[in-house]
Amino acid sequence: MNRSALALVLIALIAFVAGQLVLKNAMEASNAAGFGSKKFLAPFAIGILFMTISFFLILGLLQRFDLSYIYPFQGLSVIIISVAAAGLLQEKLTARLLIGAALISAGVVLVSIS
Amino acid sequence: MQNKANGFANPWLQLALSVVFVTLSELLLKRGATETAHLAGRWSWTGLSSLASPYVWLGILLVVFSFITWLHVLRYIPLSVAFPISQVVHVLIPLCSWLFLGEFISDLRWCGIALVSLGLAIVAKPVARLEERL
Repeated sequence: MNRSALALVLIALIAFVAGQLVLKNAMEASNAAGFGSKKFLAPFAIGILFMTISFFLILGLLQRFDLSYIYPFQGLSVIIISVAAAGLLQEKLTARLLIGAALISAGVVLVSIS
Repeated sequence: MQNKANGFANPWLQLALSVVFVTLSELLLKRGATETAHLAGRWSWTGLSSLASPYVWLGILLVVFSFITWLHVLRYIPLSVAFPISQVVHVLIPLCSWLFLGEFISDLRWCGIALVSLGLAIVAKPVARLEERL
């Protein structure tokens, strides 16, 4: 895999993680402010945009590379999302949760490369 | 806005539904894509030719359902808990492909499936205890 492909994989991964975080933020806002408020609609639209970008970047990569090259990086999203949710959304991250997420990440990577 | 969701709106039930929808949709999409693989055409590389299969349309419908249930999950469950648990699809999809589609699973893949299962058990155990107390 060359450098530009690796960059695209990383951008797709970042867009996916950002999309999940922003959508989480939107759905929490919907709890407090309802579905008609800007606090929900703005992050919801941005979240959908991020997920769409990630989706098409991965689709494009899949046209040129094997699934087993692309998906191990998706496995990393588990541990990244858990840590980012703790850091950016003030979620409580226990050692147990961190270990579990790391094992799941490792397992998904293993499933993808085998 | 309500902060408690019971019955069908229970977020854990919705998380389970979301995971089942993802797994079913992947199996249906695979079946539909295989069925239409012989349809040659200028645009076949895009995968659009698979739209000729009703299985693919049903799969797409389930993808939409899984996304809606996932959004509902995000309203109530922390992302750092819900997302790792949603990765149970990496156990369910290979197992279902093995059982229902007759696909081969290598030793290394079995190890990966076992690792994911172990991680899921570690993440889910304190959650289950928390729910019991409520």
